[in-house]
Amino acid sequence: MTASLEARSAAAGSANATPPTGTAVEAVAVLTGWGHGIRALPADAARAAAGRAVIPLFRPVLEGERFRRATRECLLGVAAVDALLRESGITRDMIRGSATALIYVTGAGYGASNQAFVVAESLRQARIEGGLTDKRPGSVASSGTLHFPYTAPSAMAGEVAIEFGLTGPYGILIGGAATTIDALWQATRLLAGGRCERALVLAVETFEECAALYARGRWLVRRPLVEAAVCALLVPGALRARYDAPRTPSTLETLARVRAGETLACAPLIALALARDGGAAGSVSVTGEWRGRRAGLHWQ
Amino acid sequence: MSGATRLRAEPVALVAAGAVTPFGTDLDAFWSGLITGSDGISMIERFPVDDLRVGRGGEIKKLRPLPPTRHTGCRATQLLLAAAQDLLARADISAVPERVAVVLGTALGGVEQLERALARGGRPRHAAGALYDSPAHALARRLGARGPVLTVSTACAAGATALGIGADLLRDGAADVVIAGGYDGLCRFVMRGFDALRSLTRERVRPFDRRRSGLLLGEAAALVLMTRDDRKGEPRLGRLLGHASASDGSHIAAPDPSGRGLEFAVRAALDEAAVTPADVDFVSAHGTGTPLNDRIEAEVLRRTLGHRASAIPVNSIKGAFGHSMGAAAALEAIMCLLASREGVVPHTRGLEEPDPACDLDHVVGSPRATRPRISLSTSLGLGGCNAALVLEGGET
Repeated sequence: MTASLEARSAAAGSANATPPTGTAVEAVAVLTGWGHGIRALPADAARAAAGRAVIPLFRPVLEGERFRRATRECLLGVAAVDALLRESGITRDMIRGSATALIYVTGAGYGASNQAFVVAESLRQARIEGGLTDKRPGSVASSGTLHFPYTAPSAMAGEVAIEFGLTGPYGILIGGAATTIDALWQATRLLAGGRCERALVLAVETFEECAALYARGRWLVRRPLVEAAVCALLVPGALRARYDAPRTPSTLETLARVRAGETLACAPLIALALARDGGAAGSVSVTGEWRGRRAGLHWQ
Repeated sequence: MSGATRLRAEPVALVAAGAVTPFGTDLDAFWSGLITGSDGISMIERFPVDDLRVGRGGEIKKLRPLPPTRHTGCRATQLLLAAAQDLLARADISAVPERVAVVLGTALGGVEQLERALARGGRPRHAAGALYDSPAHALARRLGARGPVLTVSTACAAGATALGIGADLLRDGAADVVIAGGYDGLCRFVMRGFDALRSLTRERVRPFDRRRSGLLLGEAAALVLMTRDDRKGEPRLGRLLGHASASDGSHIAAPDPSGRGLEFAVRAALDEAAVTPADVDFVSAHGTGTPLNDRIEAEVLRRTLGHRASAIPVNSIKGAFGHSMGAAAALEAIMCLLASREGVVPHTRGLEEPDPACDLDHVVGSPRATRPRISLSTSLGLGGCNAALVLEGGET
């Protein structure tokens, strides 16, 4: 890929260039509870789950003191971008700086850290009530200083931005698959408007720590819940993107659900990866649904 | 930033606004509280704070009763619905439901519901309500909006980014009316978190003051009704000319010492608006009152505005009722437009001795009589989020 990315970046970076109005999906890296890449997806996720409610992803082992405190969601975001670069032969230097946009999406990736903070705080309260902890204002115990920033969804995108030196246009959207369509639309807008030379659309979903909560909200999410971290790279290209609100799912949306299971915000990016894996080079339609709303993006 | 030629964005009309703040349950209370220098900080009463170092904040003591529904929703939803009630008293949504979008910024979403969900007897609706996008969907349902519903969570810059995305939806024809803004409610979760971080001051909030020692949190919701700027002759608060966001890529819990992300956002927003520093009449700064934020922000404003920086009035409203997180940037955008309409800029409450390291033309002591046409509003958030808005005041 690198040759085409460099060529497109050079064209977009030329001071006299007219901003291209089109975009292209240059690469997609997929990590799921089923394994690494699209080929790891089963033919039928529901059958492969064999009754399991959650198909978990690993906790990436990343070097560096900074990652010691980072949550699993943060590490998965970094791992997905790293996989994208590795699989596409792109160096970190090529995406570093303000010419790369980052748009991060998650429906529930902050759940584990939020729950951990609430539980730790409850334990602290219980200790106070039991007279086991100093109640004086300012006594800091357990649910403490270092953890709180990681409860924010912005921490997940922040870790990715820090790790890869991304200082360009930035967005963090909360929601499921329809929201990832919104994120892809934002990326195409940024590219078409000349506001960046490339855009990373990153989605991370984890469920394992909050499995009990999801069991109570089964009307909102279907089983199996499959943890995933997926990153797509968009660049200037020949295809125009149309953003709309279709009533019915695209073929790719259905396929991604059957193959991967419920991956919330990751689903449309998995669908894009499936399209690329199937050899789709021209028009691609991806759709996604969340909370009764379906959004679509159609590259033509 | 990208060297590519950028397209000037079409301005978007901000037709009307609604807000609920510690000053009261409507926009008029918000504005009069700012102009009169009211103090919106009080001891928090809605949940226990006696074990915290700091138990004060900008708490809204009383909300107007809302129309009865099946579920009253969480605090955040209640704030949003109250702000919407104020907004709809000032403007109608004149579009079919499928063409009405909702775009909201938040730092906390419905997180207070998570505490309920995890407590004994927690219900499924509490678990669903804990998702950060639940309040936005609750508002969309109440408004009957069936277009895009987006929740932005770029921490305390989220309200600005929400307005920017709302403008993009209109420009792309994805909606005809956008209800955009931001919200966040005070809850133990966030009070405990910031208390543990030792970011909260035991003194007054003093943005840009040499004695500044930290922030206080507040709660609020602020909404604007946005349309494409093609309804000539109809009244409006003003226009959004440009917006941009950028990441620091520096630190999870502290702003980049060089302020490069904020600088990128300011320059890109001015660029999109096709205005220069010479056109800017007023700056609504993020101005949290923390030592690092205010110094970095002042340096960035001096760099981006050049010699004009010393001649442009700058204020921060966070001394008035604290940092309202996801609502802050939306409130500040509204304040810019009200300042233009009323011909007066609110002063920075708590600022008495400007820090030489934050040397700007601060509005100190009392409001300043001036009618800014073009305003710049800056925002920063946890995780290295930055955003800037360029607004134009004035009715048609």
